[in-house]
Amino acid sequence: MKPRDRVEMSLNRERPDRCPMQISFTPEFAERLQADMEIKGHQVHNPHGGGNTYELERALGEDLLLTSVGWANSYYMDDKPYTDEWGIGWTVQSYETPFGTGHYTEINSHPLADETAISGYQPPDPNRPELYTASEQMLRDFKDEYWIVGVTVTTIFETAWALRGLEQMMLDMATDPDLADHLLDIPYQYHLTAAKKLVEMGVDMIWTGDDMGSQHQMLISPRMWRRYFKPRMENFISEIKAINPNVKVAYHTDGYVTPIIPELIEIGLDVLNPIQPACMDPADIKKQFGDNLTFWGTIDEQKTLPFGDPEDVANEVRQRLETVGYDGGLILAPTHHVQLDTPLENFWAMVNTITGTPY
Amino acid sequence: MDEKLKAIYDAVLVGHMENVAAGIHVALDADKAPGDILDNALISAMEEVGQLFENGEYFVPEMLVAARAMKVGMEILRPLLVNCGIQPVGKVVVGTVKGDLHDIGKNLVAMMMESIGFEIVDLGTDVPPDQFVASIQEDVDVVGLSALLTTIMPKMEETIKAIEDAGLRDQVRIIVGGAPVTADYARQIGADGYAPDASQAARLTKGFIVSVK
Repeated sequence: MKPRDRVEMSLNRERPDRCPMQISFTPEFAERLQADMEIKGHQVHNPHGGGNTYELERALGEDLLLTSVGWANSYYMDDKPYTDEWGIGWTVQSYETPFGTGHYTEINSHPLADETAISGYQPPDPNRPELYTASEQMLRDFKDEYWIVGVTVTTIFETAWALRGLEQMMLDMATDPDLADHLLDIPYQYHLTAAKKLVEMGVDMIWTGDDMGSQHQMLISPRMWRRYFKPRMENFISEIKAINPNVKVAYHTDGYVTPIIPELIEIGLDVLNPIQPACMDPADIKKQFGDNLTFWGTIDEQKTLPFGDPEDVANEVRQRLETVGYDGGLILAPTHHVQLDTPLENFWAMVNTITGTPY
Repeated sequence: MDEKLKAIYDAVLVGHMENVAAGIHVALDADKAPGDILDNALISAMEEVGQLFENGEYFVPEMLVAARAMKVGMEILRPLLVNCGIQPVGKVVVGTVKGDLHDIGKNLVAMMMESIGFEIVDLGTDVPPDQFVASIQEDVDVVGLSALLTTIMPKMEETIKAIEDAGLRDQVRIIVGGAPVTADYARQIGADGYAPDASQAARLTKGFIVSVK
């Protein structure tokens, strides 16, 4: 069965030959995996797009391939401090694992922290043709076989707070709605333009969203989400579906967001990602919302993958297949890029259990 | 509650900085004691904010706005409190451990602790173990370690070990927190306490002080 057919069946709540799979990795994990699989990568692997040759993804048997246009591509751009084209400053932080030293890129300065900088700010232009060259190429190369996802995550909130600072953006939303609207519209318009272009080019699904949850609670109230994010997301979904009614929309948010899921369904969402099991029980979410949503993710990246053993990982995969994937409606994936702290045995236990368990 | 204190309390609850400042001036003009204003308007309002947060009625933005208003009030009261000889409830060192730059959780914890009367020494983010050790002066009661990243959690254990090696472990209580941290993990690495959110972290810390003093 073609990978793209497998995904399409799952989205239609049918059971394909096996559950579809998607996995991304931090650059260092990708290097370790390349060595393990004896694959010679030609470029640095960027989990957010840019330079990805999809060699690893295809060799693993993944079913979805991702191509990203937007601010999220600013992650992992360099191995020394840099400023991205939005004016956001980044630093590089290292961490030690039993498998070597890993690096994260972390935001450390915000060009709109000072309110006087806001009115004159010029965001990057989302209409530059070169932004879409890699996506065009991958659509040409892989669309016949794979389910192609156009990525425009960090769509509104995350880019806005990277521009303004997280605490200040939250204060603005609580005390100055006009200013908050202005700030949120900067990334929103950019990513909407990018998503529309990607749909016109033929991607099968758009992956949008912002982290709205913390471990046990939403970061902002459902009321505030309704004020700032629901109307923008509703318009976003309706504009891209107006271009292609068959395109699917996936929404990403980390953490606990159960209170807003019914309203995500109401505004036309098809797929929810990543359902962190430490924050929301995937079986419970499936029971409540499985008639209307497909779930993409659910494999724990906080505990099971880094700290469990291969049997724990295999059990978790099997449990998800039983409790979430029983009628399709599931794309298994780790809830974040696989990090360097994950033992390879655990990684292979995940991949082999997914690809080796027929529905 | 006294009407003048109630006005300040209400202003903190909704985060209205101007009304907090104006309310404090009105109360002081009416000869309210600074300590009374602190305990019965500012601190009690922030305790209510913490409760509303725990109940899921307030979220991070509402907490930030209230804490900012509380701060305005504290700036007015602080010199007066010093004159009256009123001391902080205790002293807490907080920081995000080495390798982790995420700070909003740690900042919220610091704000909530400050809001209920603690003096805070905020070491910031990416704090190496020896800097935590160096910060433990005689008057420090509690050390709070924060981490968001799963890959950085082992640095919490390393920091606790460094405090032990420096012979300071018995002098302070150590609490840990952050999204991937759990009560089990806290016990496993030898911390004295864990709280799942800022409000509960502040209450946990106050509990330590009450049990000691």
